[in-house]
Amino acid sequence: MPIHEKHLIRPENLLRKDKLEVEGVDVSGDWSTFIQTRVITDYNESLQDEIAALPGGENIHRCWQCGSCTNACTVNAINPDFNPRYWIYLIRIGLESELVRDKDIIWQCVSCNKCTYACPRDVVPEAVVHATAHWLELKGYVPQKPSVIFDDAFSGQVFAKGKIEEGRLMRKFFARTGQKLAQPWLVAMVKGMVARLPVTLMMRLGLAGLIHPRTRGWSGKRDAINEYVAEQNAKHRRALGLNAQPTESRT
Amino acid sequence: MSNPILVVGGGPAGLSAAHALASAGQKTILVDKADRLGGAPILSGYAKLVPSGEWARDAIGGMVERVSGKPDIEVFTDTRVTQFQGEPGAFAVTLSNGQRRTVGAGILCTGFTHFDSVNKPEWGFGTYPDVVTTTQVEQMISSGKGVRCPSDGRAPERVAILLCVGSRDRQIGREWCSKICCTVSSNLAMEIREALPKCSVYIYYMDIRTFGLYEDKYYWQSQEEFRVKYIKARIAEVTSDGKRLLVKGEDTLVKRPITIPFDMVVHAIGMDPNVDNPEIAAVFGVELERHGYLQRAATYRAMGGSSRPGVYVAGSALGPETIDDSIAQGQSAAMAALASLRPRALAG
Repeated sequence: MPIHEKHLIRPENLLRKDKLEVEGVDVSGDWSTFIQTRVITDYNESLQDEIAALPGGENIHRCWQCGSCTNACTVNAINPDFNPRYWIYLIRIGLESELVRDKDIIWQCVSCNKCTYACPRDVVPEAVVHATAHWLELKGYVPQKPSVIFDDAFSGQVFAKGKIEEGRLMRKFFARTGQKLAQPWLVAMVKGMVARLPVTLMMRLGLAGLIHPRTRGWSGKRDAINEYVAEQNAKHRRALGLNAQPTESRT
Repeated sequence: MSNPILVVGGGPAGLSAAHALASAGQKTILVDKADRLGGAPILSGYAKLVPSGEWARDAIGGMVERVSGKPDIEVFTDTRVTQFQGEPGAFAVTLSNGQRRTVGAGILCTGFTHFDSVNKPEWGFGTYPDVVTTTQVEQMISSGKGVRCPSDGRAPERVAILLCVGSRDRQIGREWCSKICCTVSSNLAMEIREALPKCSVYIYYMDIRTFGLYEDKYYWQSQEEFRVKYIKARIAEVTSDGKRLLVKGEDTLVKRPITIPFDMVVHAIGMDPNVDNPEIAAVFGVELERHGYLQRAATYRAMGGSSRPGVYVAGSALGPETIDDSIAQGQSAAMAALASLRPRALAG
C-alpha cells in the first residue's frame, strides 16, 4: 500500500451527498475527499512543553522514536492504534489535531510499565501517556475519566479528614459518575455481611457514617495539603495556557 | 642519514605527520598548496571542534606553530608537487616553484573538498540567501558575528538543518556516508540554541550516525539539554513564500507531506574526494578507489600504505574522516614511513 494512502482516506474525510447531480449525471452517495490537502504546514512548538510541564511528561524530549515502547505495549497487542511511540512524536513536533484524533484510546493505558523498562532513553512512556491523558482532560478534549473522579473523591476525603470512610467514598464516586448505588456486586456484598452478622464492624461503619470522624490535629495538615494541591493544579493549568482555576467546580 | 620525508598537505594529518617525523629527528619537507598551513579547519574557518570543544584556531593553530620554524622541517606554502619519480628510499621530487629535492618517502595528507551545495539545486542553495552550509554557520560562529540570516541580518527564530547533503545520494554519484556531519550538525544545533535561546532548531534526518562516544555527548545532549528536534524526513525541496523559506518533504513517521516555514536552512554538507585527486594520483603514481579517494593498502602489516611502495596516505584523503582520527593516521603514516627508511633501528 502506498505510504500515504492509509492515512489519507479517513472516515471524517468522507463526504456524503444525498442528492448530487453533475452535468446531468446523478452522483449522489459517499465521496472520498482524499484530495483535500493533508500537508503539515506548521509545528506547534508549545505542545511538547505543555506535556512536559505535567507530572510524568518531563522526559518526553528524550525520545528518539525507536518504538521499543509500542513494541512492549500490552494494549498495543490488542489495539494496534494504541501507539505511544507515535503520540510522543506528534507531541514532540506539535501536531495537536493528529494527537486529539486518538483521544478516546490514549486513556486505555493499563500502567503495566513494560514500556518503562524497555525504553533505552528513560523517557518513561507510561508516565508520558498518563500526562497526555491528563492534558486531554485539562484541555477539555475529553471528560474526566472514572479513575480520576475516584482519585479526586478519595484524596479529597483524605485531605479533609485525614482518613477514609469507604461507604461515603463509594456514594460520592457513584453519584459523580452517574451510577446508582445499588450495584449488584455491592448488594451481594452487603447481603453476605448481614448474613454473617459482624455486629461490631457494622456498628462502626454506621457510626462513622453519622459523625464523619477526623484524624486528631488534622486541620493544619489539611490546609497545607490543600494549598499545595491548589498550587500544583494552578501551575499545570497555567503551563497549558488555561486560567489558574477551572471554570466549573470539581467538588 | 637517510633522505628527508615529503609530507604533502598541511592539515591535521599532515601537521601531525610532520611533527612526528621531526620529533624522531627525521628531516621533513612539508608542502601545501594554500597560502598557509592548517588545512580545512583553518582555511574554512571552523568554530569549536568535536569532541574537544576547543576553537579550531587554537587547536589546529597550535599544531601549525609546532611545525613552524623547526630546523628539521622545511615548509613550502603556495606550492604543489609536480613530479615524483623513483624508488622507495630515493624519490626525485619537483615542486611547482621549480625547486628539486630527493626524498626517501612521501606521505599524502591531501584531504578532501567540501561538497558544493549548488549540485543539489532543489535544496535552494545559491537561490535563496538564507540557505547556507554547515561551513558557513561555522564561520558565523568563529568570526564572532553570530548566526544571522544573510538576507537581512536578523537572528533566525527557526532553523532547519538538512543532513546528508552531498552524501548517501546515488543521484549525484556520492554513495558514501560523510561520517562527521551528524555530529557536527548536532554540535552546531546546540551552539545555535545556546547563542539564540528563542530559536528552535530542527534536524531533518534519514539516520543519525553520531558514532561511538559522540552518541550521548552530541545526539543525546542536543535532545535532552538543548531541546533540538529531530524529524525523520528527507527533504524534497526548499522554496520560499516570499517571506520565509519553505521546507517540503515527507515526514515518514507521520506518513504525511510537510511544508514548514523556516528562517534559515543549513545544509550539512559532506566530504567529497579532493578535487585534485586525479592530478595527485597521476603525479604520485597512486591509485584511487571507486569513490575517488586515494586507495589504501591493507592495514594489517603496515598502516598508511597506498597502492605504491614508499608512498603513504593519512587522513581524509582516504575517505571521510574526523580530525582526531586524521591526526592519529598522520602519526601512524609517519611511523610507517620511518620504519621503511630505518628498518634496523626500529627492529631494535
